[in-house]
Amino acid sequence: MATDKELPKVYHLHYKKGEQVFKQNDFGISIYKILRGDVEVFRECEGIEIPIANLGAGSIIGEMIFFLKSTEIRSASARATEDSEIEVWHPMELLKEYEKASPVLKLIAKQEMDRLIRMNKFMDNLVIEKQMANTESSPKKAPWKDKRRFYRKETALPCTYELVASPKGVRKNAKGLIKNMSMTGLLLDVFSKNETLFPHHMGEVVSIEMVLPNGKGFRAQGRIVRIKRNDYILSLGITFSDVPDGEREALGFFLLP
Amino acid sequence: MPVNISLLECLASEFTYQDGAVIIEEGSKGDWIYVILEGFAKVKKRTRKGMVIIDTLQEGEVFGEIAFLEGESGSRSATVVAAEGTVRVGILDKDLLAGRHSEMSPILRALMKSLAIKLRETTSRICSTLVSLD
Repeated sequence: MATDKELPKVYHLHYKKGEQVFKQNDFGISIYKILRGDVEVFRECEGIEIPIANLGAGSIIGEMIFFLKSTEIRSASARATEDSEIEVWHPMELLKEYEKASPVLKLIAKQEMDRLIRMNKFMDNLVIEKQMANTESSPKKAPWKDKRRFYRKETALPCTYELVASPKGVRKNAKGLIKNMSMTGLLLDVFSKNETLFPHHMGEVVSIEMVLPNGKGFRAQGRIVRIKRNDYILSLGITFSDVPDGEREALGFFLLP
Repeated sequence: MPVNISLLECLASEFTYQDGAVIIEEGSKGDWIYVILEGFAKVKKRTRKGMVIIDTLQEGEVFGEIAFLEGESGSRSATVVAAEGTVRVGILDKDLLAGRHSEMSPILRALMKSLAIKLRETTSRICSTLVSLD
């Protein structure tokens, strides 16, 4: 960790407990170092706060925007969870230095960033999935708007699916029946014998293809996050990891009540 | 994706692993950085309900970088296993990388370390959430 002497100090800010340091989707290029206090970093998705990290003195926040070359919006929000003192750096000089850094280290940082973005999206979908399960298990407690937000349409759509990570030339697909769908995922029933074609493990990414009732094709990728076994049927809970924009629109129309 | 030339220039050695073989193990010590030259690998984490796959890596992707960037602790944040057949991996020259890393200013190193810490924390939270869903 860098010492105070080495840091390009710009200015110090003080935040009271509960105050926001920066907000997701805002433009901003500054990098922050917590000098005193605690800050929680979280993402907001579908109105739900998804925790990423609780950070104390010495930790850095807002660095993702630096590695994204300051052309993007903040991917998360940060809020002081106790009275905090924070040092704010302007990244311009750092960016110039970073441009001259070793290409292999920059490549490693880029892959690290891509992975973090991928994991954050995965986490978003998981938390929504969990919220959806909670909403369904206690419908009396759920406000009407939450039920609408996590609306899951019952259906019986045949589909084909395959593992995304398969060696070239040996890709195998299997058939299944989609029991319900939402904007964030679906429930897929498949025969247990499909396990002989390829592994059906938690976390595997599958590509799913189907024809929606209006005749339009739909294709998306998702992760297996739940597996329930019932005699010769496997029920796979899948959260979407990649739904192209056009497909998302088609799904939205399909989900209209 | 094809293996980037800057990675190929840093290769110290190459190994081949058969389907299911463990390349690195969660919790073990080590800070070598690997790159997949051919094939796929699964990233898994231990949970109280068994191993969970959290990511799939393909040709051109590096792994093991968290322990390297975090520095002092050097423990592996996840297990990586060869998947879907034989996997060929390269190990990057640690001395070369460490040298170039030390040439960066402490601030840049701190920013890269911060990314690694957040990735480690996020994957741990994913596992906890996955377990609570099942």
